[in-house]
Formats: sequence, structure tokens, C-alpha cells
Amino acid sequence: MKKTLAYLGERALLTLISVVLLFPIAWMFLTAFKQPRDAYSLSLNFEPTLQNFVTVFSDPWNLGSMVMNSVIVATVTVLIAVPCAALAAYSFSRFRVKGRKFLFFLILSTQFIPAVVIVLPFFLMFRQLDMLDTRLALIIVNLAIVTPFVIWMIKGFIDAIPTDSEEAAMIDGASRLRVIKDIVMPMAAPGIMTSSIFCFILTWNEFLFALILSRRDAVTLPVGLVSFRTERGDLWELMSAAGVMITVPIFIMALFIQKHFTRGMTAGAVK
Amino acid sequence: MQDRLLPYWLLVPAFIIVLATTIYPLAYSFITSFRAWDLTKSRRPEGFVGIDNYIYAASESQFLNSLWVTFIFVITSVALTVVLAMALALLLRRKGPMHTFTRIILILPFAMSPALIGVSYRFMFNPEFGVLANGLGAVFPALQGVPWLADPQLAMGILVLTDVWHWTPYMTFMCLGGLASIPRETEEAARIDGASNLRIVFGIILPQMRGVILVMAVLKTIFALKMFDQVVTLTGGGPGTSTETLAYFIFNVGFRWFDMGYASALAWILTAIMMFISIWYVRMLLSERKMATA
Repeated sequence: MKKTLAYLGERALLTLISVVLLFPIAWMFLTAFKQPRDAYSLSLNFEPTLQNFVTVFSDPWNLGSMVMNSVIVATVTVLIAVPCAALAAYSFSRFRVKGRKFLFFLILSTQFIPAVVIVLPFFLMFRQLDMLDTRLALIIVNLAIVTPFVIWMIKGFIDAIPTDSEEAAMIDGASRLRVIKDIVMPMAAPGIMTSSIFCFILTWNEFLFALILSRRDAVTLPVGLVSFRTERGDLWELMSAAGVMITVPIFIMALFIQKHFTRGMTAGAVK
Repeated sequence: MQDRLLPYWLLVPAFIIVLATTIYPLAYSFITSFRAWDLTKSRRPEGFVGIDNYIYAASESQFLNSLWVTFIFVITSVALTVVLAMALALLLRRKGPMHTFTRIILILPFAMSPALIGVSYRFMFNPEFGVLANGLGAVFPALQGVPWLADPQLAMGILVLTDVWHWTPYMTFMCLGGLASIPRETEEAARIDGASNLRIVFGIILPQMRGVILVMAVLKTIFALKMFDQVVTLTGGGPGTSTETLAYFIFNVGFRWFDMGYASALAWILTAIMMFISIWYVRMLLSERKMATA
């Protein structure tokens, strides 16, 4: 009797947790498919429409260009940060070079520097160079946040790879670079993939840099949300439709790395 | 010969990035923090004013307010996140279809853009057509017509809520990782001896999780100190200045009032706080690792 009660209690608790986790997301998805008049009622009984998605992609909102900006900024950031970080992570993981502790400490510490400190000088610099409101500016600043994090994550994954096969290949006369390319990187591929996706999510969701450094041409999706706040009030149904556009690609990626993610997180953070 | 230098060459690309995107701007804003520079008046930096910007900060009520707001926010959000994550991990480490399902969806709040989280909570707590404002009013009549985001304390509460909702899943993953590395033998032995669940958790599991909990608390503190996104999209710092965190205040000084010198000084105060915590954090990690290998 006591056992069944505990069992039921646990199930109820898990259900409650799932509801708390999913409800805000579900409500946004529902609102995105509501007509304006339904969006302001709490009714679940409404006629779904795709009109909001059509509206946000047309003038004056032009969500399409924001999607483009977000995709380009996040992709290029990943393509630059991850290879550089992977090489550095390998060096940190395998060699005991002079000053290694200091360098690693330096890189770890930069991860904790507030973004608002970095963005001030960049704003002034880009203004001087006439680079405000460009994707390139956003990519450069995003690298600051993402690179240390990815070094840290990939190092965790490379640490977990045994060195035996590397040593065997080196004895057979393979060069270190070859070993990295043909042995280590393939073995670390799942970890590197996870780190890349993680880095993509960070950049995709980045808000502060984009808010300050973009005006019109380089606006990314999270900043685009703010534009649905108009003199007519907040246009919730359009915000929700934009929210769905921000969320869906990221959710797919997140679920894809979910399994590795737990491991990578603990490897990176605890070690 | 080539092989001896290779470890350094491998570090070069990443190091250039870090140098150019972090170290250089840091130095730049450090120097700017000792200057007067009103961007609305002058395109170039004006003269050096020594530590005037810092002295001004020490007596300016809006800065002190943002420091206090940040302090309250950090304490509440860190405490709530760590406790909830630990509890959730203890619940979710068991096997079962519902456990697995919850573990999978746990990643969704974490993957959601914080700016969007702010927007969606703002919608849900809208007193007229917000689903949570109305839902809570229907269940608890005392909460009917509460102007959630227009009340300083409640607005802060909701700000904390959005942050806890966003970060608890990530911290739960960390706890689950920590729990998985604890040997099960002691726990099972205690269970056979008839120890209660509560005693097992507090007497056996939590002491062994000390390291993980510490790491979580420090990491979360650092993230909470940077709180910015939801302040913009949820409360706008209001009502009044009741949710104006330090990062948001610096943003206002720099990009609404364009006082670059003062903003840089404020940014460096925030950096100093974070550096202090980070150094402590890295030290702690290194000593934990020494303990683990010993």
C-alpha cells in the first residue's frame, strides 16, 4: 500500500515537472497558430491558421532576412571556432608545454568575462571602421564567447580518448599532425559534433551583441523579437510565430545531441 | 625539431582569437574607464580623469541600486536552481519510461533563447490575457487581478523564475553526471541496514556530491551576474528600476546615454567581481582534481 502510494506520488511529480517544462513552450506554439482575436483569449478551441507565419515573413517584419542573418552568423562562427578550438584542445590535453597551466587558466577565465565589457570597445571600433550593423561584426564578437567554451568542451572529450593507438601509430613512423588528422579527430568526432551544435545554439540565441551592434541589416532572430513591440502594443501572435521559428531548429539540434550533451557537460565542467 | 614546437603551433589559432576578441577589448575598456568620453559630444575620447569614474560610481544611487538588484537576483536564482537541480537529479536517476521522457525534454528549456523566454513569460503574466495570470487567479482567488509585472517584488520574482526555468535543466544534467560517478555500494549497504531515504540522501549522497554542488553554485553565480536578456524582454528593468541588473544598467549608461568612460568603469567593476569568483573557481577545480587523483 505504502509502495503504491509512493509510486503514484512519483508519477504525479514527474507529470508535474514535465508540465512545468513544456507548458511555456506549448503555449507559444499554440499562440503562433491562433488568429489575433484568439491570441488574446485563453480558449483552446480555436481555428488554427498559418497567417501569422505569412505575416512575419512579409513586409514590414521580413523575418526571412533575420533567419538568414542568424544562420550565417551562427554557421560561420562555428566553422571558425571549432577547428581552432579542437587543435588547442588537443595540445592542452596531450602535451605538458611550458606555461600550459597559465594559458589554460587564461582561456578559462575569459569565459567568465561579461559580454557587456567586450561589446563596448567593439562598438567603438566597429563604429570607427564603419562596420556596425554587419554580420562580420557579429561573428567576430561571438567568437569571443564561444571559443573558450568550445576549447573546454572538446578538451573534455579528447581527454577521454586513450592514447594507445596514437602512440602505436607514432612508433610506426606517422607524424603527429597525421595522428591528429587520421586517428584523434575521427575518434573525437561525436564530441566535436556535440560541441559544434552547442556552439551553434549559443550563437543562435545570443542577444546582447546583436542588440547593440545591429540596427537593420544584420538583425538576428532574438533581437527581431523586440520589433514586435509596437505602439499598438505587443503583437503576441506574431512574436509567437517568430518564437517558433527561433525555437524549432534549435530544438531539433538539441534533441540530437541530448545523449552526448550530458556526458560532455559533466566532462567539461567537473574535470 | 618541428615536433617540439608543435604543441605551441596548435595553440596559436585559438590564442589569436582569444587575444583579439577578449584580451584586446578588455585592455581598451580598461583604459577608457579612466577617461571622460561622452559619445554624443565627441567622436574621439576626451581627456584622462584618473579614477573619477570609479569614485562617481561609488556614490551614484542608480549604480548602487543595480548592485543591490543583482545581489538579490544572484542569491535567489542560484539557491533555487541548485536545490531544484539536485532534487530533480535524485528523482530522475532512476530508470523508467517517465524518467527517460523527462530527461529528454529537460534539454528544451535550456536550448530556448533567453530573450524569447522573457517574451513568453511576459505574455503569460499579462494581467489581461496572460494564461498564467488568469490561471493562477482562477485557482487562487487571492491572486485575481494581481498586476504581476507592475509590482517590483513580483517582477523580480518572475525574472528569477524565468532564469530558474532556463538553467535548472542544465544543472540537473551536471548533477546526474555527478551522481553517476558515485559508487553505489555504500548506498546499497545502508539500504540493507534499513536506513531511510532521507538519511541516505543527506548522509551518503550529498556529502559525496560536495564537489559538483560547489562547481554548480559558482558557475550559476557567474551566469546570474551577467543577467541581461530577460531583463530587456521581460521587465525592461522596471517597474521603476526594481529589476535593473548591473549588466542592464551598464547597457543603459553606454548605449542610451553614451557615456563611454563611465560605462567602461562600471563594466570593469562587474569584471572585477567575476574575475574574483572565476579565479576562486579555477583554483577550486584544480584542488578538487588533485584530491581526485591522489
